[in-house]
Amino acid sequence: MSSGEWSGDGGKWLDAHYDPVAGLYTFSSCVDLADLSGDGESRLVVGDLGSGCSGMKLKVYRGTALMSESTLLDLPAGLVAFFMDLHEPRIPAVAVASGPCIYVYKNLRPYFKFTLPGLEVNTLEQDVWQQVREGQIDPLTLKEMLESIRKKADVPLSVRSLRFLSLDADDMDDFVQLHKLQPIRRQTVITCIGTLKKSTADEDGVSCLVIGTESSDVFILDPEAFIILSKMSLPAAPTAMDVTGQFDVEFRITVACRNGNIYILRRESDKPKYCIELSSHPVGLVRLGKNVVVGCTDESLQGFTQKGKKLWRTVLAAPITTMAAMDLPTRGFQAVLVGLANCEVQLFRDKNLLSTIKTPDVVTSICFGRYGREDGTLIMTTKGGGLMVKILKRTAAFDDRDSAPGPPPAQSIRLNVPKKTKLYVDQTLRERENGLVMHRAFQMDLSRLRLAAAKAYVKALESSLTPMSSSLTEPLKMNAVVQGLGPSFKLTLNVQNTAACRPVMNLAISFLYDESLYRMRSPYLRIPLLVPGLIYPVETFVECTSDKGISDIIKVFVLHEGRSSPLLTAHINMPVSEGLMLS
Amino acid sequence: MEVTMDPLFLAWSYFRRRKLQQCSDICTKILQDNPYDQAAWSLKTCAITEMVYIDEVEVDQEGIAEMMLDESSIAQVARPGTSLRLPGTSQGGGPTPAVRPMTQSGRPITGFVRPSTQSGRPGTMEQAIKTPRTASTARPVTSASGRFIRLGTASMLTNPEGPFINLSRLNLAKYSQKPSLSRTLFEYIFHHENDVKNALDLAAQATEHAQFKDWWWKVQLGKCYYRLGLYREAEKQFRSALNHQEVVDTYLYLAKVYQRLDQPVTALNLFKQGLDHFPGEVTLLTGIARIHEEMNNILSATEYYKDVLKQDNTHVEAIACIGSNHFYTDQPEIALRFYRRLLQMGVYNCQLYNNLGLCCFYAQQYDMTLSSFERALALVASDEEQADVWYNIGHVAVGIGDLTLAYQSFKLTLAFNNDHAEAYNNLAVLELRKGHIEQSKAFLQTAASLAPHMYEPHFNLSILSEKIGDLQSSYTAAQKAEDAFPEHVDTQQLLRQLRQHFTVL
Repeated sequence: MSSGEWSGDGGKWLDAHYDPVAGLYTFSSCVDLADLSGDGESRLVVGDLGSGCSGMKLKVYRGTALMSESTLLDLPAGLVAFFMDLHEPRIPAVAVASGPCIYVYKNLRPYFKFTLPGLEVNTLEQDVWQQVREGQIDPLTLKEMLESIRKKADVPLSVRSLRFLSLDADDMDDFVQLHKLQPIRRQTVITCIGTLKKSTADEDGVSCLVIGTESSDVFILDPEAFIILSKMSLPAAPTAMDVTGQFDVEFRITVACRNGNIYILRRESDKPKYCIELSSHPVGLVRLGKNVVVGCTDESLQGFTQKGKKLWRTVLAAPITTMAAMDLPTRGFQAVLVGLANCEVQLFRDKNLLSTIKTPDVVTSICFGRYGREDGTLIMTTKGGGLMVKILKRTAAFDDRDSAPGPPPAQSIRLNVPKKTKLYVDQTLRERENGLVMHRAFQMDLSRLRLAAAKAYVKALESSLTPMSSSLTEPLKMNAVVQGLGPSFKLTLNVQNTAACRPVMNLAISFLYDESLYRMRSPYLRIPLLVPGLIYPVETFVECTSDKGISDIIKVFVLHEGRSSPLLTAHINMPVSEGLMLS
Repeated sequence: MEVTMDPLFLAWSYFRRRKLQQCSDICTKILQDNPYDQAAWSLKTCAITEMVYIDEVEVDQEGIAEMMLDESSIAQVARPGTSLRLPGTSQGGGPTPAVRPMTQSGRPITGFVRPSTQSGRPGTMEQAIKTPRTASTARPVTSASGRFIRLGTASMLTNPEGPFINLSRLNLAKYSQKPSLSRTLFEYIFHHENDVKNALDLAAQATEHAQFKDWWWKVQLGKCYYRLGLYREAEKQFRSALNHQEVVDTYLYLAKVYQRLDQPVTALNLFKQGLDHFPGEVTLLTGIARIHEEMNNILSATEYYKDVLKQDNTHVEAIACIGSNHFYTDQPEIALRFYRRLLQMGVYNCQLYNNLGLCCFYAQQYDMTLSSFERALALVASDEEQADVWYNIGHVAVGIGDLTLAYQSFKLTLAFNNDHAEAYNNLAVLELRKGHIEQSKAFLQTAASLAPHMYEPHFNLSILSEKIGDLQSSYTAAQKAEDAFPEHVDTQQLLRQLRQHFTVL
């Protein structure tokens, strides 16, 4: 497949590579570009999620080829490349966050594993397990005690206790025997990861790792000793973050959280400094210079200042799948790339749409930066596992056009209103001249018609002809469906109680039909108690005994026990039976 | 002295005056005296055939078997404007379902009921086998054989002593040699006995005897093949007949074959070719107009119907179709003119008065509105017609704000026709105004199940559910409404609102 036909904005991008079956399933947080061998050529580092339960891999691409591949133990939550020391040649390390650990790779070999410190364990829980170890209580008592702890305590239970509580009674003993000797621990997991320059703003300066965890904390790690330099806490679990500044000077961490708020952390305090409350959940977060651009689930893109003041909001055509920043320092160009669910990638500078790239599949991750020796490279992976590489043309120019000047385009569409004919004009003249007579005639006819309608209505009500009854005690509705080609037909009566809350009981259905034409399997049916609002299908079979090709009406009556007149009646026009004739 | 007329001449005279039963009786007498009187025999076959004769060109009922079990439908998504099976292939210019109601197949309702105008392809087997399947409803007839055989059995009943001609003992080869007898015999077998296989045998032998040069036999062969569902063979015969002799009927048969093969464009070309030979031929023009109408191209259909009227200004179908088109394009005063013309021509039935009443109402000629409906009620022939009249009265009542009358009218509609989905829908709206939410919901659900092609019940149900806070049902109902009528702005707005609701915290 040639990739050229897909590019909707072919004037600005060169299609470098498209492999629809690369088998690369990942998100923007697990993709990075880095010069891993120090030869001046950037590689693409991807944490591949595989099928979600197996096949997680760390993949490195060079050019169009897969260069190396190593297995990951758990699903990667984030991946960053960073400089951890000042050694020459300058080779960055890769940090992969998965579960409670960070695996650091150097020269594509495992180098170090950092595990987050455990959380505080509930003392009561600890006591209970202690008693179990000493054999003082049996598993059933343990279960009861743990359940009471779970209800009361403010410190949540450990994973082990929760797992135990979910077990069947048979498996409890084995589980306790297996685990009672180990101490209890409570672990959290990493949700997002970022880097923060330590003391210099240089491109290849040493960086700290910034980690957001499920326990609503943000840690900053020292790159060499892997000790926690700083710990900050948030009101909710973070989902995405953006970091700027230097640790030793001043920094700012913008964190999108699961409660739909965005918090901004600064150096001085361990609590958020500013808070942005969004109207819907954030999907992506990108910082452009001093502004923060947030994509939300309500198909909108919003811009905020660093202090949380809302600048603008634009509505997009489809839900956002992913976002990434596009930064070209050589040209001083900064914009946001937004992947949409309608197979488009749109480029925004502030609220203005600069260009749209059409893709053959929904894009799940975007990464823009230096790849190989080319500065402006856009790398995208798709939902179907494809890998797409595009290069920004050096001649490409993006012009800002303000999107909403002048009247909306709908205003200039002419409506196709039919012209009023001469006939119409003549008729209105007649109306004007004879208005009084016409009105009188109409009123008289109307009174007559009202009378006729009322008469017919009363007649229909008296003989319960209508398929719905509006009596206060049994408001019912029925409609009938006949299926089949004959001579056997299936008759389905859908009975519904339309009362607000009262059930209807003691009902029955009977039929009236020409016995020389039809035979019915059960000409009398009892209806169960009717719960309001539900449709009860009552089915029976009718057999046509005539071979003359004649059809007749079958009358259906819904009866109430102890009353002679039916509640409602339906007439079913039976279709002509064709089964006998065809034989 | 009484002069008796020659009995054969008398029979012939009766035949020409269409007193067919008398003609047949006299022929029977002659044949009793002289069983080998070929003239009497031939006349009797003609008379009996005429009794049950139906115009083969006009009859076209697609049965369930042809519709649902069609093996040759390969292209599920035909290009727009090339297929009769896709309802949505409108060329633009057609009215939306908000203005003009749709049939189950997704085509606008036409002004004239004829076989296959209202049917169309049901989406599922379930829809196809639902009752009722009479021609007046929007559902297909089970199978063409049903009606044909019914006619056959009916004629058997009138002849208790047995059939006039015993087909099984007939020596077809002998008869096929005699051109004077074979034609009447063929028509008798084909129309009266409905024995297509024997008819085909006879036709095949006769055309062989005529050394494949007689166009008439080829047309008959084509008819037999068509009846048997062998459309390609039928096409071959009709084409070859056209090479011998240009006849309007042959064009019409051939076009029927193409329509059945779902090639409306070929059929249109054929009609135009026919018009070159027979300029201004009304049946050909009508055929073109019908195809345009079935392809949702109402504008060109109307143009062709106007051409028809230029040739034949008493053509009922053309007048009715143009009238209904004017009515649905917001010119009821012109529609009124057309319907009055029908009235002047002597069409005097319930449906016409029904239409007149509605046109009068919308053209603001109020003094004649209700009297038209009264007359329509007086002329009612069946329960379905009565239901339709009451439904329209209900519309007028809604228009003048008399909701009690409207309520009664819609209920009466349902009393006469339990499957009237539109009435269910309107009744639901009235119930909702009264605050009976449960009833309203029940009616809307029924309307939606009776007529899944209508967008109104789905949309109303969606609004209702949204108001009582059941957003999920509202969303599913709105999606169904969108399927039925994708361009409906209110549905789209509602959907957008709901989606927003789902995304907001």
